[in-house]
Amino acid sequence: MKSVQAIFVKQSKDMIKNFSVLIMFVIFPLVAFVMTHFVARGNYDIPDTMFTTMMASIFSGMALIQAACGVIAEDREKKSIRFLVIAGVKPLAYLAGIGGVILIASLISSLAFGFIGGFARDEFIAFMLVMMSGAIASIILGATIGVYANNAQAASGLSLPFAVILGFAPMVAQFNERVESFVGFFYTQQINVVVNDFTAGLAHPLTVIWLNIAVLAVLFILAYAKKGLGS
Amino acid sequence: MISMNNIVKKFGSQTVLSEVSFEVKQGEMFGLLGRSGAGKTTIINILTNQLKPDGGSHKIGVTSYETGLMLDEDGLYDRLSCLDNLQVFATIYGISDKNSKDALDKVGLGESANKAVSQLSKGMRQRLALARAILHNPKVLFLDEPTGGLDPNTAQGIHKLIQGLQKQGATIFLTTHNMDEAVKLCDRVLLLHKGKIVEQGVPTEICERHDAVKTVPDLEKVFIKMTGEGLS
Ligand SMILES: Nc1ncnc2c1ncn2[C@@H]1O[C@H](COP(=O)(O)OP(=O)(O)OP(=O)(O)O)[C@@H](O)[C@H]1O
Ligand SMILES: [Mg+2]
Repeated sequence: MKSVQAIFVKQSKDMIKNFSVLIMFVIFPLVAFVMTHFVARGNYDIPDTMFTTMMASIFSGMALIQAACGVIAEDREKKSIRFLVIAGVKPLAYLAGIGGVILIASLISSLAFGFIGGFARDEFIAFMLVMMSGAIASIILGATIGVYANNAQAASGLSLPFAVILGFAPMVAQFNERVESFVGFFYTQQINVVVNDFTAGLAHPLTVIWLNIAVLAVLFILAYAKKGLGS
Repeated sequence: MISMNNIVKKFGSQTVLSEVSFEVKQGEMFGLLGRSGAGKTTIINILTNQLKPDGGSHKIGVTSYETGLMLDEDGLYDRLSCLDNLQVFATIYGISDKNSKDALDKVGLGESANKAVSQLSKGMRQRLALARAILHNPKVLFLDEPTGGLDPNTAQGIHKLIQGLQKQGATIFLTTHNMDEAVKLCDRVLLLHKGKIVEQGVPTEICERHDAVKTVPDLEKVFIKMTGEGLS
């Protein structure tokens, strides 16, 4: 527990000073805000929530995966993880500390999305549940890439296709039904599914997201077994 | 306190350590000398369980919690301040924040406590890495080239500091290219060449044995005699 706390504090301090990571948690809500207020409002063809869900899924897929993977890859490349391990920090404690900070940062961004989307109370809660479950999935995927890649540069290269597909496919799905049926398996698409019809309930989307999490957790365990946290 | 017994380590087809055996007694300052690529860092990595040997056995008489470590890569968090870097480990060890400040004072970084690591010079980084290694008053210290690439003055400061730690009872295991440093600091040394031990013992005694004492014991000469090559 002391280890988790130490890593959590380290990562919070680091993130505030790390502009390239911090910006991702600000830029997507900001774009959603601008587009919603200046484009969607006053245009009857565009639903008021469209840009919120679009940016929220890109945020969930892109920003979170890259943040998680970037932090871990950097700690490995600079060998700082070695000193933690030697000091007795367990890998799970390290990942919990890092993941915890990213999860809280994404909670703040998700709240911003929620307010920008202008959801009523029950809708808001449903939206947050989907966003936070999705964040867990993204953090696990990011961690998998961060553990698997040999260095920080390889990690950012490797995470890009995942980020683009998971982040942008839901947007494409809004315009194309064939893509939509395929993308239905992605956790990032569930944000659309929920927001498009709040009356349909959360059972289906949350099941899809947690199945994603289960699959990603297995991938993580495989990557970890192969590479460990060292380098 | 520390021992290695017939350790063999291979990377692919390259044998990096062959049948390395030695023992370090409690409270001793022990120096591992050899050229670049001799296998010094590999020995530290094996002793600290970061690498598995392909044969032989090794032992440290304390827990990993009681060891302090300065490696060839410092692993410091660039964006955090000096103090914040140490606080991470103070929290892990469950010791008070005062230990971090004390450690910074000891290595002469008290005034730079709030400076970001990215703004430090190489010598300052090295001293911060040393501060992290001694933060929890470890019983065994591993120092991989603690003065490598430092100016003589800064190196002198580090020498004083580790001699002080030894006086307080710490066992110190260090590697170096610098023969004078080894003669000055170490109770016993081990000369390593291409993964094999070529000589070990008390520096002055080794030098006498090899007729290499002039006005000062000349370990460099022993090394050249044993290996046919200079150190640097
Ligand atoms: N991970 C590795 N994979 C393959 N070869 C390695 C690895 N680590 C070290 N080696 C090889 O093992 C040999 C010994 O390396 P080591 O780092 O122990 O030397 P050293 O004595 O510490 O040198 P230096 O004084 O330059 O630090 C070198 O030939 C090096 O190329
Ligand atoms: Mg080395």
